[in-house]
Amino acid sequence: MSKNDIVENLRREIENFSFEAKVEKIGHVIEVYDGIAKCNGLTDVKSSEMVTFSGGEEGVVLNLEEDTVGVIILKDFSKIKEGDEVRSTGRILEVPVSDFILGRILNALGHPIDGKGEISTQNGKTAKSYPVEKIAPGVVTRKSVDQPVVTGIKAIDALIPIGRGQRELIIGDRQTGKTAIAIDAILNQKGQNMICVYVSIGQKDSKLRKLQTRLEEGDAMDYTVIVSAGSSEPAALSYIAPYTGVSIAEYFMDQGRDVLIIYDDLSKHAVAYREISLLLRRPPGREAYPGDVFYLHSRLLERACRRNENYGGGSITALPIIETQVGDVSAYIPTNVISITDGQIFLETDLFYKGIRPAINVGLSVSRVGSNAQIKAMKKVAGTLKLDLAQFRELEAFSQFGSDLDEATKSQLERGKRAVEVLKQPQYAPVAIENQVVILYSLVKGYLDDISIDKIKDFEEGLVQYVQRNAKVFLKEIKEKKIWSDKGEEELKKAIEDFKTSFNK
Amino acid sequence: MSIISNQNIAEAIYLASKDETNRNISFFVNKVIKFLSCKRLLLRSKDILNLLEKIFNEERGLVYAKISSKETLNTQTKKELNLLLSKKYNAKEILFSESLNEKLLGGFKIEIKNEIIDLTIHNKLKKLQEYLTIKK
Repeated sequence: MSKNDIVENLRREIENFSFEAKVEKIGHVIEVYDGIAKCNGLTDVKSSEMVTFSGGEEGVVLNLEEDTVGVIILKDFSKIKEGDEVRSTGRILEVPVSDFILGRILNALGHPIDGKGEISTQNGKTAKSYPVEKIAPGVVTRKSVDQPVVTGIKAIDALIPIGRGQRELIIGDRQTGKTAIAIDAILNQKGQNMICVYVSIGQKDSKLRKLQTRLEEGDAMDYTVIVSAGSSEPAALSYIAPYTGVSIAEYFMDQGRDVLIIYDDLSKHAVAYREISLLLRRPPGREAYPGDVFYLHSRLLERACRRNENYGGGSITALPIIETQVGDVSAYIPTNVISITDGQIFLETDLFYKGIRPAINVGLSVSRVGSNAQIKAMKKVAGTLKLDLAQFRELEAFSQFGSDLDEATKSQLERGKRAVEVLKQPQYAPVAIENQVVILYSLVKGYLDDISIDKIKDFEEGLVQYVQRNAKVFLKEIKEKKIWSDKGEEELKKAIEDFKTSFNK
Repeated sequence: MSIISNQNIAEAIYLASKDETNRNISFFVNKVIKFLSCKRLLLRSKDILNLLEKIFNEERGLVYAKISSKETLNTQTKKELNLLLSKKYNAKEILFSESLNEKLLGGFKIEIKNEIIDLTIHNKLKKLQEYLTIKK
């Protein structure tokens, strides 16, 4: 575009601009402290309405009191002074959304922070805006969960299956691999027709950078958006970030697409909300959290849903993460989120240090709706696995008291040990669902019983490769048609037996 | 039990004061202060006083308006503004307080009853900037 064209365009734009004199509601700042401003005036202002300060800073109205209004400031608040003018905008907090946000890192207000420039728009159209706070879809628009989200983690896909539209909590102490599960789940969504939104709340920027690099290496950023409210940013942004994330997810769901959203983590979100509430002088309750901390999370997680075809289809699957302190799941926030979600994946430090990774406690982890979404083949092979593992744990405790065990108990113990070994999985190595079925089938049908435990991993790797070459019909049935036929089973059986013979040689 | 708001107290004081004659007003003020002290409301007295002033002004049809401009407004403009605002805010009298501000670049803005009518060049430029940057 030449210089003259730019001037001509600008002239035309300015000509089209019209200024209308209108009455705006204003108020004045009475107090400012730690990201909160108390203002008077601002009559008729709504809750969650955006206001602008005279210096250009933006805020959101959170407290409506008799004479004053409590505003959370969304940017640097150091320049706001007592007596500054505040104008109401009449707009509820919104976030700009478009298809071009995929692959980008956004802040809690939806603005890019990855240094890759502004988010482009298509055909000169303005990006759409979605309200950050929205009532969850009603019961008429919903549909039950019946499609799986394949995470690529054997222990989850087999024992704690997650369905599209489900809310599954990932809970555990620090350093137990909670984020690792979330990243693996994102990495495994490649080619699964899924958009991923990762919401980072109060995390270190270095951790976020590492995560971004990992996702880029796995080509996962093509279908992922990261929303970040870092630990150095005001608590107000940490409070808003998950709602921004789910608004972005809703934009994609409205196009009939399936979305996986990860909130990492909601403990920090609750802490940020507690900070804001205490600064706004709201009465503290249990653990100093305000009275509406349950609603804080329930209204967020309720927005995850599976919509029926009459309302455009699409789904939002939510994986909230909660960090516990010394395994205390009975604390306020963990119990709240456990009761809101449709199940939990419980991670334990002891298991982690025993080398069982992912450190999922299968006994305490549940999925309340996911089994309906599990594919038939997986259901068939994993049906008895959970029971076997529970029995193994019980017998394992008993077997420590004496070695005089009958054959049946011994074999059950051996099977259990092999099951634990099979469910171990390194990080960033998601396993395709058909391969999971192969290895779990060989486990439950006893093909692994005479393989020594230290050779299980080698056997698994070899078997998967062998089956890929020699049981193509079976794999095609599982992968494409998602069915389990006797013919396919026969082919698989033969392939396993053949491989086992060559493996033992 | 619900908390008595400052607005309620201010309204009650105003209604009670209506019956008092000028001679008794100092006695009445003493009674009000004693009441506030008894009810431990003296800390809120500043806010109550502000609300009382607001109620009093409303009853008398007095409205305060703050005009900010780059240059002093001429008498004709002020007269027209008085007429316009009296009609809009249903006021018997508009009390103007004027201030000069170089940063406004031109035009003027009026702050009245928690509302603002901003006709400054500074605001127009800001709106133009928003228009040009948002509409791509």
